[in-house]
Amino acid sequence: MRRIGSFLLLLWCLCASGQNKPVLYDFNEIPQSLLLNPGTETNVKWFASVPFLSGVYGNIGSNQFVMNDIFANDGIDVNLKFRDRVLNTLQPNDEFSGAIQLEYFNLGFTISNPNLFLSIGGYLEIDAITYWPQDVAFLVFDGNANQLNRRYNLSDLNSSGSIVNVMHAGGRLRVNNNLTVGARGKIYSGILDYRSIGNRGYLVNTVGDNNRIATTLNADVRLRTSGIEALRTTDSYRKELIKRAAFGGDLGIGIDLGFTYHLSSQTTVTGSILDLGFIYHANDAKSYTLNGNATVEGIQIDVLQQLSDLNTDFWQDLVDDVEAAIPFETSTKGYFSMRQTKIYGSLRHDFGESVDRKKGGLDCNCRVGPARIKEARAKYKNAVGGQLFLINRPKGPQAAVTGFYTRRLGNALAVKTTYTIDKFNFTNIGLGLNLQAGPINLYAIAENLLGYQNISASKYASFQFGLNLVSWGNRK
Amino acid sequence: MKRHCFYFFVFLLSVSFISCSEETNFNQIDELEIRPSFETSIFYVKVQELLINRVSGANFFTQDFNFDAFEQPLFSERVIEGAITYELENTTSKQIEISIDFLDNADGILYTESFSLSPAPSATLSRIVAFGATGENIDIIRNTSKIRLSASTTINDSTSSLPDPSVVLKSSAQFTLEL
Repeated sequence: MRRIGSFLLLLWCLCASGQNKPVLYDFNEIPQSLLLNPGTETNVKWFASVPFLSGVYGNIGSNQFVMNDIFANDGIDVNLKFRDRVLNTLQPNDEFSGAIQLEYFNLGFTISNPNLFLSIGGYLEIDAITYWPQDVAFLVFDGNANQLNRRYNLSDLNSSGSIVNVMHAGGRLRVNNNLTVGARGKIYSGILDYRSIGNRGYLVNTVGDNNRIATTLNADVRLRTSGIEALRTTDSYRKELIKRAAFGGDLGIGIDLGFTYHLSSQTTVTGSILDLGFIYHANDAKSYTLNGNATVEGIQIDVLQQLSDLNTDFWQDLVDDVEAAIPFETSTKGYFSMRQTKIYGSLRHDFGESVDRKKGGLDCNCRVGPARIKEARAKYKNAVGGQLFLINRPKGPQAAVTGFYTRRLGNALAVKTTYTIDKFNFTNIGLGLNLQAGPINLYAIAENLLGYQNISASKYASFQFGLNLVSWGNRK
Repeated sequence: MKRHCFYFFVFLLSVSFISCSEETNFNQIDELEIRPSFETSIFYVKVQELLINRVSGANFFTQDFNFDAFEQPLFSERVIEGAITYELENTTSKQIEISIDFLDNADGILYTESFSLSPAPSATLSRIVAFGATGENIDIIRNTSKIRLSASTTINDSTSSLPDPSVVLKSSAQFTLEL
């Protein structure tokens, strides 16, 4: 029971919202916003993130289930709560998901051409998603007794997750005063991967032809893994993890593309597509399949027909027949997995007083555009707009819509607040603060702030923070 | 600048302090009971009257069948209760006595279920035998390795006029496991 309990906890903890980062996107003051749009405009001359203290991101979420549903200390029998709030409530499209991103290296700099800004970096990404396997859950918790003709659908089994080290390098080019484009290439080094998606089949009891019940299993189920065996059998987890992270595991490639285009002096449209790529899992790949169809009515003996074979081991014959009809097979053949491609888009309107017109002037990020470009655009105190986020998921794309307001308080502090509607909730208010203290850039972002009032009753929680060293071009 | 730093850290502290959680008890997971009940057929045996008439003695059929299903650790270590349902149909012209013995690994008899079937025309005999708290000892099921099926009749070589006269035994099991 403890093992099952731990599994359920793990399910909740490991399993991910859509990896949407609505506050960070287009928050130009933060260098990490470049990771969400390689065409983001900033006037940073160079920046360097502090390893493991920057680009730290994590989220967990479920669109239906909250911790409090089960674990509130309310005196109600946990079995009643589980049946009422989980088993009888969750549907196959309800998901548990989670993601962690840890940046260990990120460096951006201009070269001789001030219109070109280059960046290189690396981060570790862990993500997992599991859809509620409704029919399988009913089978596990209730069984199939007294459920004649009820089909338990195996296609409810949908889960995937990975741990990937991502190294990237890219550039942003200011084409003209209105258009900035960017591109980034990525090399993925897969450490661990598992995916069981696209399953089909069912289990059903019907009235038998001869015996009381005929049990039919029709299965086309597959679990693909990579890295699990290597980590399970290694003498040193650390060595194996480092080896697989340092391109000794599965390899893949991808690209990010993005742009910023000014429709007018105060209206800007941006867009990006991220992680357009794949990983080929060939190093320590192991797949398990169950494919076939069998109907059994127990041991069947027609004495007249089997008179000479009555000493046969009928039980073993039955087991052999089922195993032949639905073979459980393993394979070490490699497989491809597509990265979860994300698309961002935004429309922003700047208004209010231009920040660089402030009395006393500013000496840092008071203009938008490449460092040392005199005609760079003025930055306004306020910005308002909308964002769209799309991500491909095992059961199709998911979308989120965000409205935002950004306020710049002088040259040192910028605040962005967002309101996001997505699958997880309709009350996701996010807040991000960016502090520029000399060369030190510090930011913190929290989402679903209303959920922080009672975190165990929240369907979704997300945080980000970072610390960078920054040099502003205008300071030269 | 100091003022901005102040605002920044006020934000961080605010998020830290306003984030709270209703009292939770994660140990409740240990009280979660997972007790599914599974149901499937176990064995079907058909003996034709033609065969019964060929046998000279009263005991016309005795056979041991290996039955490892109940011995599988996944089942035997987790089964807590259950029931076996029998359905017997006799379309022969004879009174039939059937006994089903549950045998352990050493062929020791753990339990015997007996049936007496009237000659045709007679109704189907149905019987549900419970195992566990409200029935027979569940250890009978846990330790069963073989099934011995025996059938006997009074010596009578007549044949029923019904089509395909025979004795048919159908059975299914429904067991609850504790996971």
